[in-house]
Amino acid sequence: MSKPKAKAAQTHQAGVYKPDSVRDVAESLGISNLSDAVASSLASDVEYRIHQVVEEASRFMRHARRTTITTSDIDQALRVLNIEPLYGHSNNPPAFRRALPFPHLASVGPVYFVEDEEIDFERVLREEKITLPKGVSWAAHWLAVEGIQPLIPENPPAIPKDIDQDISKSPPQTNAGFPPTTPSENRPAIKKQQQQQQQQLVKQVLSRELQLYYTRLTSSLLPPSTSDVAKRTAALASLRHDAGLQALLPYLIRWVGEGVVTSLKEGAQSENDGKTLEVLLDVISSVLDNNTLFIEPYLHQMLPAILSTLLHSTLPPSHATHLRTSAAQTLSRLLTQHSTTYPSLSPRIMKTLLVALISADKSKGTREGAIRGLVGIGKEAVRKGLVEGGGVKVVGSECAPGESGPLVDSVMSALQVLQPPSDMPESLEPTDDADAATIDQLRNVLGDFFAEKLYGDKALALGILGSISR
Amino acid sequence: MSAATPASQSSGGVSPANAGPQDAAQSANPTDRLVLEYLRSRGHKSAEKALLEAIDGGSVDASAKTTVSPEDLVKNLAVYAQKSNRPGENVLRESTSVLQELTTMGNPTNIQNLISSLGSVGAEEILSVDPTDKQEGFRELEAWVEGSLDMYRPEFRPILFPIFCHFHLDLVQRGFKEAALRFYSTFASSLAPMHNATLHHLSTLLLPSHVQNDELAQRFRNEKYVIKMSRSGFGLLVGWLTEGVGGEALGAGEGFSGERGKRGRSAVMRVVNNHLRFDVTAASTTAVSPNAWEESTGLLSSLISQPSTSTSIPNPHSFNASKGELKLGPAPVSEELSAETERVLRERAMMDRDPGAQYDLHHLRPAAVPGVTAPSENDLLPHPPTFKTIDVQREVEKVRDARKRIRLEPSTLNSVDLNSAQGGAARARALPSICAYTLHDVGEGAPCCTFSPDITLMAAGFSESYIRLWSLKGEKLKGLRNDFSLSSIRDSGSVSKLQEKEGSTTRKLIGHSGPVYSLSFDPLSGSAAPPKHLLSASADATARLWSLDTMTNVVAYRGHQNPVWDVQWSPMGIYFATASRDRTARLWSTDRTSCLRVYAGHLSDVDCVRFHPNSLYLATGSSDWTARLWDVQRGSCVRVFIGHQGTLSTLAISPDGRYLASAGEDLAINLWDLGSGRRIKKMTGHTASIYSLAFSAESSMLVSGGADWTVRCWDTKSTGGPAKARENGANESGGARALGEEENNETSDLLATFPTKRTPITNVHFTPRNLCLVSGTYLAPDSR
Repeated sequence: MSKPKAKAAQTHQAGVYKPDSVRDVAESLGISNLSDAVASSLASDVEYRIHQVVEEASRFMRHARRTTITTSDIDQALRVLNIEPLYGHSNNPPAFRRALPFPHLASVGPVYFVEDEEIDFERVLREEKITLPKGVSWAAHWLAVEGIQPLIPENPPAIPKDIDQDISKSPPQTNAGFPPTTPSENRPAIKKQQQQQQQQLVKQVLSRELQLYYTRLTSSLLPPSTSDVAKRTAALASLRHDAGLQALLPYLIRWVGEGVVTSLKEGAQSENDGKTLEVLLDVISSVLDNNTLFIEPYLHQMLPAILSTLLHSTLPPSHATHLRTSAAQTLSRLLTQHSTTYPSLSPRIMKTLLVALISADKSKGTREGAIRGLVGIGKEAVRKGLVEGGGVKVVGSECAPGESGPLVDSVMSALQVLQPPSDMPESLEPTDDADAATIDQLRNVLGDFFAEKLYGDKALALGILGSISR
Repeated sequence: MSAATPASQSSGGVSPANAGPQDAAQSANPTDRLVLEYLRSRGHKSAEKALLEAIDGGSVDASAKTTVSPEDLVKNLAVYAQKSNRPGENVLRESTSVLQELTTMGNPTNIQNLISSLGSVGAEEILSVDPTDKQEGFRELEAWVEGSLDMYRPEFRPILFPIFCHFHLDLVQRGFKEAALRFYSTFASSLAPMHNATLHHLSTLLLPSHVQNDELAQRFRNEKYVIKMSRSGFGLLVGWLTEGVGGEALGAGEGFSGERGKRGRSAVMRVVNNHLRFDVTAASTTAVSPNAWEESTGLLSSLISQPSTSTSIPNPHSFNASKGELKLGPAPVSEELSAETERVLRERAMMDRDPGAQYDLHHLRPAAVPGVTAPSENDLLPHPPTFKTIDVQREVEKVRDARKRIRLEPSTLNSVDLNSAQGGAARARALPSICAYTLHDVGEGAPCCTFSPDITLMAAGFSESYIRLWSLKGEKLKGLRNDFSLSSIRDSGSVSKLQEKEGSTTRKLIGHSGPVYSLSFDPLSGSAAPPKHLLSASADATARLWSLDTMTNVVAYRGHQNPVWDVQWSPMGIYFATASRDRTARLWSTDRTSCLRVYAGHLSDVDCVRFHPNSLYLATGSSDWTARLWDVQRGSCVRVFIGHQGTLSTLAISPDGRYLASAGEDLAINLWDLGSGRRIKKMTGHTASIYSLAFSAESSMLVSGGADWTVRCWDTKSTGGPAKARENGANESGGARALGEEENNETSDLLATFPTKRTPITNVHFTPRNLCLVSGTYLAPDSR
């Protein structure tokens, strides 16, 4: 059988069973000179017979109330067609395996074969681990009670139409993951891609119920413009208290992280972005609150989101203060909860904040965030960062005389952490010697700007100075 | 719908077109001489010489056998012509183009003669085997149909399918396998949605011998395919076939005018003349609905047996009408039995001091259903003249069931907004409670599962050839001991002492040697007491009777030659019917091992069988896509139901005896009126095979279960039709309708869909009190 000849026959033949196969069988029987015409018509006939058997077998399949043909169906079909059945095919499990492709015959296509496991009888007998399969049993449940399907574990979960579509079709078209305000063109594309990836990940690992929960949770949280407050509150409450969300945690944190990045990337000027960030921070704090979750492995993923919100230069003006404050609070909660098990955590955060506070050409927003963060970490951090590290000086040098604003306020409140302001402030008198020394010292430590602000409260100023010397 | 007149009309309409070739064929005997002359005068290529020799041989053969018809000769010629030049079809095209060339050139007269004679028979015939012709012809026909006016198009579309089939079979039969495959792949896709099953079957035929031996192909060959058409539509068709006029798609250019177009049309016409039959109605074109198309198009003549003398076009309606009226009313109850039942009821009412029980007596006599004739005592199958205690108990229980029945009124759903407060109440009134029995850890599968009429027992037949019985009440199932001496048995009390001491709530019945496909509990004790017997049907070609007292096999009924697909008891017990792959249904009585009646007429497997509630009739569903109703006693077919587009999988007859519901592999449920044999409506919505159907006790609701893991409830009384765009809320009532938009093939009479987790529903059962029970086998997600 020469190769080109076989190829020619190939093109003529469109069926499943190729003349080549017939020729192979013929050769195995010792017939070597089978003509093309014979091979091709034999192949056609074999194909027809196969179809006949399969058609017959499909009737047995139908009557056995199955939707897949099994080897027993084929056996039955052969029997009624008066052909000797093929012995040796056990019914279950029908493990078909795909053979390795033949490198020398590319045109053959995939070949499947039945996995025929060799069983060592002696070994089986020796091991004595032959267990009888469990017998058939039945269970009854209510599929419907007066026309309403009860929501019990035996019934499939009731799925509202839209979510069902989201899950069944992998590219979610309208899955409300992020606010629909899309100023630029490329953003939705990126977003969709991210969502898809995320969706796929979710699909692979999670159970259907958790997937549903996740979809509903995220859609009720965001976008803040469409989802209503009650739903959002309920979702956050669920996050805060429900057990069994551990498997969802990586996805949730990833979702938060991506949400923060997307919101901040575009400059985060719109009101909507602010709301989104707010919600995402709420999510983080809810997750932290939930004491059924084991959160430590994910801390390093959560921190960027918090720190970005805290230190980002331009947060939406309407939300800036609130966002920074709550980010700082979340940070402080995180540290109080986990710094014991993760001792290097607070130094690392401190360092980040200090860099943001002290290094040159940072925006006021960043500095404010850093200060708030330090306040969140604690008194010691404030002392080290603001006073000893010279943070206040740096900030003060950037402030125009007489300026006021969130940054100044934050510094003041931070300083007040070190020493609570006295109820009846006694102002420093520059004429007094002792006071003058204090003023000098203050100017030294805090710079002119903030030193002046502290003139009004002697106790506070002394306290701050005292904290350094301590 | 007159069937007689169009017959003459149609044949009259077509025959003139057919006359030409027929006449010319008469004078074709000199053709071979002419062919020889012509070829002798040509001879400008060696290849043509070979052809000449070949034809020489052919003509010698032909002259040797004087009876060879000219057509055969020409066909032989064509075959030789094909063989002499290597690449199959090409030579034909070449030689025909040569012929055409010759006609245009001036030639000697004898050759002109030859050409003229060839032009009428020879060329026509030679060209008829040219596979490209078929392709061309079908393409043109399709273009013509698609280009026709909107009002005619639905009428013309059905013509495509039979012509496609015949062209394909022609090509296969002539041995043009590649051409046939090409033809199939080009055109099958447009026909696939409607005719997928048939098309696939045809595609498996590859050699002439397959066509000869295949049943479907032979049916196409030997039977006329009936097509319904309006008069004007038929006129247009004839016009196109003869003249090629009309209906040309815009921009189709000279498609119809050329020589090839003519040949294509003549190929179409040949099929039309030989294999099609037009049922020409006087009705206007718009009246031919898709339903009518399903019911009265196709290879009907073998489905509807007719006296051979009759020349009328086979039509299921006229067949059904010719069989006269049916007695569909409830079966009469003997006077003594009803008197006794009444007495027992009164007694019980006295004992219970239940004032409501008086009301029971109203239910005693079945109210005559208006519009149907009730059978008399004599019409029934013979049964014992006296009644037993169990009969009285059964009748009493029947009355009590009727009183305590949950009434299901689906019609109330139509008027109410489902989301309102009344909506919930309406649902409760309209829809049943469904209890699902799920089998777990089933090995190779459980083809059937059934409940006893008193729902104390459930039986399942398994692919592993055994039957398993469960007590649903948790009682122990006990058989009788074998170790006893006959002398010790004196009365019924001593028999009951023989009961096994221990038992479990489940019992395995072993006896069959093939998968068990159907089970039926005997209906004699009704809902009053547990049944005494169970029937089973299996792939080992037997039906078996099992005694539930001894828990053993009592009788094996042999007679079918092939697997028995279905078995059912008659409503009064004693008799039962089986359906088999051997294309028959049979009637048996339990006390005889041979069958009493054979119901033959189906063209393929009989897949399911159901008794009419008054036991006078038997309904069967078959793989020939029809359902039939048989007169049980006479054994004759009294109704045929044509309209399914696939194998029938299950049937149900309504308890009031008027309707038949049938489900097929076309995923539709058809509701038929037994009296007229007409289809009432088609209900669609299932997305996989439907395994079981059941009517509620009032016949107002149909419940279906199938391989799509759902149970669906249908309103039998509403008109149905494609779902209207309902209000969003109404459509999504309480999570019951959980399926998405993509399933827009749901008809509007689908009341509710209840999905299960992963359980194909193999049986749906309504208790006499209208509780719905369904059963199925849970498919573990990892298996297969």
